[in-house]
Amino acid sequence: MATPEELAVIEKAKVLMVGAGGIGCELLKTLALTGFKDIHLIDLDTIEVSNLNRQFLFRKQHVGQSKAKVARDAVLKFKPDIKIEAHHANVKNSDFDVEFFKQFNVVLNGLDNVDARRHVNRLCLAAGVPLVESGSTGYLGQVTVHVKDQTECYECQTKELPKTYPVCTITNTPSKPVHCIVWAKDLLFARLFGDRNQSSDLIVHTNDRTSSAATADTDFFNIKDGETPESYACRVFDGVFGDNIEVALRNEETWKSRKRPRPLYICEVYSDAKKPRIDGSCNSPDGNDKHTASAARILGLSNPQEVWTVRDSANVFLKALELLLNTRQKDIGSLVFDKDDQLAMEFVTAAANLRSSCFDIPMQSLFEAKGIAGNIVHAIATTNAIISGLIVLEAIKLLMGNLDDCRTTYCLEYPRRKMLLMPAELSAPKSSCYVCSQSTLLLEVNTTMTRLREVVEKIVRGQLSVNSPMISQGPCLIYETGDDLEEDMVTQYNQNLEKFLDSLPAPIVDGSILSIEDFQQEFTCHLQIKHREIFDEEKEPDNMVLSGKLSTTRDQALPGSVQLTAVADNVSIHAVDDDDEVILIDEVAKQDLKRKVLDEESVIVCGKRQRTEVS
Amino acid sequence: MRPLSLSLSLSLSLSLSLSLIALMSGGIARGRLSEERKSWRKNHPHGFVARPACEPDGSLNLMLWHCSIPGKAGTDWEGGYFPLTIHFSEDYPSKPPKCKFPQGFFHPNVYPSGTVCLSILNEDYGWRPAITVKQILVGIQDLLDAPNPADPAQVEAYQLFIQDPPEYKLRVKQQAKHYPPLI
Repeated sequence: MATPEELAVIEKAKVLMVGAGGIGCELLKTLALTGFKDIHLIDLDTIEVSNLNRQFLFRKQHVGQSKAKVARDAVLKFKPDIKIEAHHANVKNSDFDVEFFKQFNVVLNGLDNVDARRHVNRLCLAAGVPLVESGSTGYLGQVTVHVKDQTECYECQTKELPKTYPVCTITNTPSKPVHCIVWAKDLLFARLFGDRNQSSDLIVHTNDRTSSAATADTDFFNIKDGETPESYACRVFDGVFGDNIEVALRNEETWKSRKRPRPLYICEVYSDAKKPRIDGSCNSPDGNDKHTASAARILGLSNPQEVWTVRDSANVFLKALELLLNTRQKDIGSLVFDKDDQLAMEFVTAAANLRSSCFDIPMQSLFEAKGIAGNIVHAIATTNAIISGLIVLEAIKLLMGNLDDCRTTYCLEYPRRKMLLMPAELSAPKSSCYVCSQSTLLLEVNTTMTRLREVVEKIVRGQLSVNSPMISQGPCLIYETGDDLEEDMVTQYNQNLEKFLDSLPAPIVDGSILSIEDFQQEFTCHLQIKHREIFDEEKEPDNMVLSGKLSTTRDQALPGSVQLTAVADNVSIHAVDDDDEVILIDEVAKQDLKRKVLDEESVIVCGKRQRTEVS
Repeated sequence: MRPLSLSLSLSLSLSLSLSLIALMSGGIARGRLSEERKSWRKNHPHGFVARPACEPDGSLNLMLWHCSIPGKAGTDWEGGYFPLTIHFSEDYPSKPPKCKFPQGFFHPNVYPSGTVCLSILNEDYGWRPAITVKQILVGIQDLLDAPNPADPAQVEAYQLFIQDPPEYKLRVKQQAKHYPPLI
């Protein structure tokens, strides 16, 4: 219960909530029940069926409606005397400018992505409004407080984003095990067992228009009349590991500087032996149990840490595919990959290994593959409820002016020192933070070979997350965006985009200093340019290197394509509650936590993924 | 090891601060102007135009703005969109910018060169660094129909304004027609 003093402050406070999803629903309820009377709520999303299990303000009939509005209405039903203003909009919309933010006593984030978090962070800094930041992933969660000039801002700490892979790497030119695993689960598995109407990039497209590769046929993945699961499995095998690779090989350009893959057909795998008997074991009593059905066990491959041979993988592939078809008939067309679905995981491991063998990539054990594929944690309603409670507690401390009492609180999966909630003191602002201290960053770039467009896209919008860039050198404006610009300016800026840096009206050369500002975020930083001739294509694929206080590398999700999200070795993300129910382990929280509150205890407290390899 | 790395970081921070100083020479004016630019883009009075000049080489110069001031509705200036350039110096905003209409602009407080004579644009008089571009332009719009006879800048408009108001009025209306809207 709040004290009378606290209650007085709470009732007067005007708060902004950003996000009405997993955390947002809990938070809005908790705010209302705590006594907050003036709440603004922003969320651009609409309600989806998959939200209903934990976003408890929403019901089935609300699917498709605005989260912010439905959440407001739901809470007003049991708290009719308070004011909740719902905005069904993107927080990055220019309506929510610094002036808008200034009207609030505190801003509470319940967001699901780093980009929006950064934007809110910058606006809060510009408006001088304290921010309570939060996130959850599965059992883990954290809440922290950002106050301009008093604490670290959201961007003082480096946060890496989930690594995503360009579709072409996954479909055409895999070079790492993770590429093949992503291919197997996000493309092949989804195509075979998921929604077939969704467009898929599974098939290699060739420049050769006359090509009539079997897999190019849109009906390829449909079971033909009279086709047995076994023959279907064989046909799919030959199609994806054989014909599809043959087609890929026809794109000669692709392989000039790469090792050519080798197609793999059923007949080669079993050239000297028979296929394993595929018989009635799928009728075994546990055949339908999602968590126990196993092709590997039937085939005698019981050690999950053992790497299968190509033939083992082929056996598992055929057997698992057949079992999935026989036992999951109802779900075909709507199956979603789940790493805890034994059969699905076996199928994905086998398929990834077969593809790896074609591309001469090391194969992985079931255990390793699960680790790579499964950095996916389900959102847990209880965690969100705990996090929301913590957000409100921090908000009250801020409103009472007790910044010294504010804490970063980690919510753990297992108790440490008999605690599941682990508080840590807030850190001071980083003097080198480019967001809250406006430092100068160094950009190494070939100024004669690089167009302004590349710098704008990869560096300014990409790495610096600037939403509406305004770029200038000295008194010279080089680039701006916005609907309000006059036509001739837009033309000029578009011309500038296509120019090489050193041939711009105000040439950008070695030693130039650019000012990068954001029209909306009131963000400013300076880029010092260093000309460099040569870049390592492997390590520096952008042909540019940004250094100084580099906050993150931004994901490169390709629009309109399958979101190929997978997690490489050190990839991490700041706590996320994702509405698609897949979220990535918060390595940042883990490191933070280890640094701040744990001593030599080497057990990884919040790793879903048990690392066994010695690094 | 330690002293070495210390001196390294010292020299690094020195070079960085030097480059920042280089940036700041004119940087304060530039920084303020980019703020002015942003604030204008976000919100500006209806009918006004103010934008950095496009130089012949295609660069946009924040130190020189091309503006257009609409004559106030209900006055003899109505219907005119009067072109004005604002020249900012490196000392801006410590010193006021220079505002110029076209040469020979007809107004008692505009010099033959076109330079506007207005208290808020006078460093020794009404200028304050906090005055915004928006305030300058609105101030000049006010000046159009409310000339200050105590501070004449050209003979022709001043004399007509004092001695022959009907003729002054006619000339103002003619001038307004001479500067139709750009679109």
